[in-house]
Amino acid sequence: MATETAVDVVMPQMGVSVSEGTITKWLKQEGDAVAADEPLLEISTDKVDTEVPSPASGTLTQILVREGETVAVGTKLAQIGGSAAAPAPAPPEPEPVAAAEETAPPAPPAPAVERPTENGGRAFISPVVARIAAEHGVDPAQIAGTGRGGRVTKQDILAFVARPQPAAKIEEPAQAPPVVPPPAPQAPSPPSAPQAPALQPEAGEQLEPVTAMRRGIAEHMRRSLDTAAHVTSAIEVDMSRIVAARERLKQEYTAAYGVNPTYLAFVARATVVTLRDYPYVNGELRAESIVTRNYVNLGIAVELAEGKGLIVPVLRHAEGLNLLGLARGIAEIARKAREKQLLPDDVQGGTFTITNPGGYGTFHGTPVISQPQAGILGTYALVKRPWVVQDELGNDVIAIRPIMNITLTYDHRLVDGAYAGRFLHDLRERLESWEGDGD
Amino acid sequence: MAEMTYLQAISDGLRSEMRRDKRVFLIGEDVGVYGGAFKVSLGFQEEFGPWRVIDAPLAETAIVGGATGAAMMGLRPVCEMQFADFVSCAWDHLVTVAAKQRWRVGTPVPIVVRLPSGGGFSGGPFHSQNPESSFAHIPGLKCVCPATPHDAKGLLISAIEDPSPVLFFEHKHLYRRIKGEVSEERFTVPIGKARTHREGGDISVITWGAMVYTAEEAAQQLDADGVSVEIVDLRSVMPWDKPAVLDSVRKTSKVLVLHEDTRTGGFGAEIAATIAEEAFEDLDAPVKRIAAPDTPVPFSPPLEKAFIPQVEDVVTGLRELAEY
Amino acid sequence: MAIAREAEPVGSLHEVREAGLDREDLLGIYRNMLITRGVEERGHILYKQGKIPGSFYTGRGNEAAAVGVATAMGPEDVGTPLHRDMGVHITRGVEPWRIFAQFMGRADGPTHGRDGNVHMADTQLGLIAMVSHLPAMLPVATGCALAFRIREEPRVAVGWFGEGASARGDVHETMTLAGTRKLPIVFVCDNNQWAYSTPSYLEYATEHVADRAQAYGFEGVVVDGTDVLAVYREAKRAIDKARAGGGPTLLECLTLRMEGHAVHDDAFYVPKVMFEKWAESDPVERFRTWLRNNAELSDGEESEIGEQVKHLLNEALRRADESPLPEPYDLLEGVYASPEDLETPHHK
Repeated sequence: MATETAVDVVMPQMGVSVSEGTITKWLKQEGDAVAADEPLLEISTDKVDTEVPSPASGTLTQILVREGETVAVGTKLAQIGGSAAAPAPAPPEPEPVAAAEETAPPAPPAPAVERPTENGGRAFISPVVARIAAEHGVDPAQIAGTGRGGRVTKQDILAFVARPQPAAKIEEPAQAPPVVPPPAPQAPSPPSAPQAPALQPEAGEQLEPVTAMRRGIAEHMRRSLDTAAHVTSAIEVDMSRIVAARERLKQEYTAAYGVNPTYLAFVARATVVTLRDYPYVNGELRAESIVTRNYVNLGIAVELAEGKGLIVPVLRHAEGLNLLGLARGIAEIARKAREKQLLPDDVQGGTFTITNPGGYGTFHGTPVISQPQAGILGTYALVKRPWVVQDELGNDVIAIRPIMNITLTYDHRLVDGAYAGRFLHDLRERLESWEGDGD
Repeated sequence: MAEMTYLQAISDGLRSEMRRDKRVFLIGEDVGVYGGAFKVSLGFQEEFGPWRVIDAPLAETAIVGGATGAAMMGLRPVCEMQFADFVSCAWDHLVTVAAKQRWRVGTPVPIVVRLPSGGGFSGGPFHSQNPESSFAHIPGLKCVCPATPHDAKGLLISAIEDPSPVLFFEHKHLYRRIKGEVSEERFTVPIGKARTHREGGDISVITWGAMVYTAEEAAQQLDADGVSVEIVDLRSVMPWDKPAVLDSVRKTSKVLVLHEDTRTGGFGAEIAATIAEEAFEDLDAPVKRIAAPDTPVPFSPPLEKAFIPQVEDVVTGLRELAEY
Repeated sequence: MAIAREAEPVGSLHEVREAGLDREDLLGIYRNMLITRGVEERGHILYKQGKIPGSFYTGRGNEAAAVGVATAMGPEDVGTPLHRDMGVHITRGVEPWRIFAQFMGRADGPTHGRDGNVHMADTQLGLIAMVSHLPAMLPVATGCALAFRIREEPRVAVGWFGEGASARGDVHETMTLAGTRKLPIVFVCDNNQWAYSTPSYLEYATEHVADRAQAYGFEGVVVDGTDVLAVYREAKRAIDKARAGGGPTLLECLTLRMEGHAVHDDAFYVPKVMFEKWAESDPVERFRTWLRNNAELSDGEESEIGEQVKHLLNEALRRADESPLPEPYDLLEGVYASPEDLETPHHK
């Protein structure tokens, strides 16, 4: 049956994996009459060479693909019947963009600040938002959510905790008790934790809610003591050379880099170098394995103001930092803590921690290890003490020397006592024989 | 480097291993004179002879069982299933013998079974399936699903080298459609290591095989919305690169698991469950799965289009996650 | 009507010598048959003492078929014996104490407790461990033969199956491949007449399983599986033929299952008269009588061999009992093979 309606001749699919074919020969030319099923052209594909029979009877009005050309399966090759002014070959499949337009348009963005009212006035808090909230001691209810139904998204809470805060005084960690800004002023009630039955204070008592941070610290401290076998060893270090070096470097560092070379930075530098020789002190017991590392992520314990908690930001790859780098890094994390800019990554992944409870003159302590690490170093007050030294004739004399006590609290499951002793010995040697800027 | 199709890369990898190692031989239906149903081994029999490119009777049990015995005797057989669907006929030899022999009695079975899989061209219920999750569930079998020509060659060589039985799922829809630069030198791609196909910060898509390209097209559309999509190409589903998936999840906190196999009990279920177990506190939205519905693979184009996840399905899923 | 060749029984010592066996060989065969039976008898006792977990299967009545074929195999040949073929393991040299340890799920069994029963093999002795899907081992044996053919090695594979397994498609597929490629393999069908409770006429409709061989293009032979020397002669012939490039043979051994399918099966479905008839053709008794009549086996020799076997088995039991139960700490190991696993003679 001849046809007046245009019928397309398309590149056939000659096998399931074939995606294209080549025209080897047209058996009819434009204007020729052709009968249905009569051979019309020859094609070649990866799998087979074959003739293509005409799909209809009529006039071959237009050839769109010439001999020798390779086109995708489904491409229009020619037209039978209709007028010669056929449209250009259509692509075999709709373009992805066109396809997308067929789908529903994206929902309009949720009202940015509207407080959700469903679920008894509380929107769903996703696990990651709950975790970040707990880590930063913030109440998600304080945050304007941009997620579905006003939900607080991860981005929302990260932006919230990273927002600039009114500056609060932070003491330089090595010199005085480290202090971090007061908690966000707008958090009068505990975060999303379920409310316990109301507790009535006895006479003279006052109640304040347990913050998420306090709950986290409580859980972590208890778990650490339940996990590790804590042992503490102490050394006394003659810091004369460090004091001298610090005096020498202080002006240069402050002027050139705006950084104060603190005693903590010196101790951190000596510690990081010593840890290279004592991988278990920088290690971890993980399931049935002992993990050691070729790097040190150094945690610095920072106390928040007014006993409101403790946070341990981490200096990543501290082994790659010299004294200046460490001094800078410590100053930087102190600043971040002060401005509440610490991100989850800044407090994760520590491999060893230094804490500095000596600011108020404490000369000894037994810190709790930050899990899953194997050790924590404590630095204490630098005090002038009468000290037995040898004069140039080799006689013992008493001199006045700046002495610092340093403790290593270690997990005896992984670190043996003698091993810890050798670590402390090497650390003391390194501090007492300090030269130059310690590089 | 040379530009190769996915199919040419498989062919190249197999040929280079057969030239390098006399223990490697190919057995399957029509692999010899005809060069295989998809022409992967075209010209191989001329080069390697009829005892290293073996035209087997139509007997998958004999092919895979025979390869198992030959492997135990020290050879490195590569079996070709004409279509992945036909591996059901060889189930016993993969699952009962090859998978368990090393664990039970210490005898390694280093065989590779090549499985032309996947749909998209009206192959119907028996020429389109993606049965990787059935085998991923069997302890002792490894399952790889390359998406790129480079990975197809490198993973095939790794599979031949591997001392365990490896099922090599080669997606038919990629054979001649996907081209890429592939080194003509010998190289391997490690089994069990994922590849970040595309970096992004807002949503992770975990996928493999032909769906990598579906995800890519969808991700490009999400760019216009200002949503940055990361695509993790698993490359191997057993063993699978759990750390790479969890790292991506920890970064984006929103996940879409995408596969062409049917939904219930598909390998995406394992991935979703693992994310829920191990990265719960990093999630900012429910883990979303996009997969084929729980039916056999339909034949007619509109039905098959409804069956195989399409770019627009993935775009919709990604937008839902973005807005969550 | 039978299509397969029905082999003659073995008569005189002279005929046996023609087949290549001297008197020492004959006493060795006898000894292996006694050990085979002894291992399974003691296994039976261990099971009833509660020392063997799971179930327990024996090949009582199949000793001649198993020992006869294994004796005909060359040292480099390989085989896939099944659970009625303890005689193959014994003849190839597996130590009985390791078998007892395997039965009891102990750490020193060949599978270290990961599998039980006769699901074991010593690859160094050319044996491949069976799976419960019995016909599945035939394609594996055929694959071994394929490897020998590809490498042009003068080695032969022996694949065992039963008349029950003959119903599975694996058997058809593997015989098709072996026949078309003329592979060096001998298919041994231990036809013990019962597949669990199913009689042989419900498993195959020809007179013999071996009748099928012609359909695959190779020879079928039926032999009395209680006549160890006839089994040896026919197996030797088939193995030599395969080694010389003559292709496969299907050797059907008509044997007995003198007990139930397993210890828990009292075989009530087997007619009593059949058991009585089987007892008369007990393969161990039959060979003992033959040795006394044809090879001058004396009372002294007989009791000496008996004592040796008894001592061997008692020692084996003692040693196996000392083997500890396995610990689960390494249960996850070996799911995947490691490159070191390939450091075996086969893979080099």
